[in-house]
Amino acid sequence: MDDQFLHDLRRAPSREFAARLSANLRAQGTLSRARGPSPAAQWFAAAAAIAAVSFAFTFPAVRAGAAAFLDVFRVVNFAGVRFDPQRLAGLKAGGVDFPSLLGDVEPPMASVPPVSYADPAEAGKAAGIEVRQPAWLPPGWTATETVVTAEHSARVTANTAKLQTVLDALALDDVRLPEGLDGQVATVHLPAVVLMTYRDGLRALRLFEARSAEISFPAGFDVPALAQAGLRILGLDRDEAYRMAYAIDWRNTLLVPVPVDAASFRQVNVAGADGLLIERARSGCLLLWSTNGQMYALEAPLGAAAMLEIAQSLQ
Amino acid sequence: MAIDGEMSKRLPWAQPAAEIDWDAAYAELLPRVYNYFRYRLGNDAVAEDLTSRTFEKAWTQRARYRRDLAGRSTWLFSIARNVAVDHLRAQRRHLPLEAAEHVAAPGTPQDHVAHASDLERLAALLQRLPAREQELVALKYGAEATNRTIAALTGLSESNVGTILHRVVLELRVAW
Repeated sequence: MDDQFLHDLRRAPSREFAARLSANLRAQGTLSRARGPSPAAQWFAAAAAIAAVSFAFTFPAVRAGAAAFLDVFRVVNFAGVRFDPQRLAGLKAGGVDFPSLLGDVEPPMASVPPVSYADPAEAGKAAGIEVRQPAWLPPGWTATETVVTAEHSARVTANTAKLQTVLDALALDDVRLPEGLDGQVATVHLPAVVLMTYRDGLRALRLFEARSAEISFPAGFDVPALAQAGLRILGLDRDEAYRMAYAIDWRNTLLVPVPVDAASFRQVNVAGADGLLIERARSGCLLLWSTNGQMYALEAPLGAAAMLEIAQSLQ
Repeated sequence: MAIDGEMSKRLPWAQPAAEIDWDAAYAELLPRVYNYFRYRLGNDAVAEDLTSRTFEKAWTQRARYRRDLAGRSTWLFSIARNVAVDHLRAQRRHLPLEAAEHVAAPGTPQDHVAHASDLERLAALLQRLPAREQELVALKYGAEATNRTIAALTGLSESNVGTILHRVVLELRVAW
């Protein structure tokens, strides 16, 4: 059926109209402000939180007095893993409280407004990093805002009883949690994050830069065994969870769960560093990579090729 | 690895059930809602006005959104359709004098089609069709909705949507 003539009549809304409506909606709190002053700036905190979860239950079975943290986790690589949000949503509907499942976090993360900077270099100084900016952007994109989020440190105390309730709810009776895990404590340091926003009309491109999050935990523990339990909870079958748990270097790899119904992902090369490219249905990509001790995330409504070109142009 | 709660709070693509990423929704759906109204009503200025109303309504009604019942775009287009219906009803109630002049303008519909812009040509052709068919064309080609989404919005079966659209497009193709 030749219907091209009908497709050809579509037009993009004028920039003036889009900007006017955007301003009106922002005034009503619809757009970014609706989710707080720095929704995207929390991404690295999320990454660190995921890392914290990944490792919160992977502490050595040492005596309570042996609190010296010997191993330090830093993000060097990113690995994607698919999970079914419906599976976890079902658990939540059944009363499972996932945040508390992590264990007790002290002090809890406070909602601190980010600080704006006119100069990205100044923002970098505030965050303790050397900020790199894209030398290339697609036509139409211009820098609009640079903010820095506050750093945060916390202690996470593992609670196996809560975790066991999830395993029971999912009937994962083949999964065994490591003995001695309960009550173990890790420290998590979430770095200050520099968030640079670029806009093309209404579309936003966000570039995050920060030092690697760090998680310190006692040495000598069977990390893959617990990671396997976590992967089973996410929905991987026994063999796949085993293969992944023992293939990943858990000391330097951040596992990024990707909803099965929202995105696909693949490993990419970013100027010599391994990166993870997550392509979302209809709404662009998220690119994660790490180099020279810094983590980067680039989020934009662009295709994979443009994302990589921007990432590789950072200087 | 029980990270769902944290992800829901932090990751842009993992919002909890009753929360919408408005930035993403706006960027993705603004052109689609705008073109839905263009195809439905054949007028850019009206399309802008009704697009604004749709997003403003969506914001005020956001508490009613339930992800388990409908996708983000389906929900927004259900609002857009109501906005279009309200607009068409108001037009019928308050038909301006200029509209009467337009009705009385000389020449056949074919003459009008031949001299109008492509969008106006389409609007003129669509006006010959029943409202349901006009709506399906606007959803399919303006809003770029899938037949499944159109079926969910209109209450028609997916196959029925496909059949009707096939027939309508053939008719439009001949007239175009």
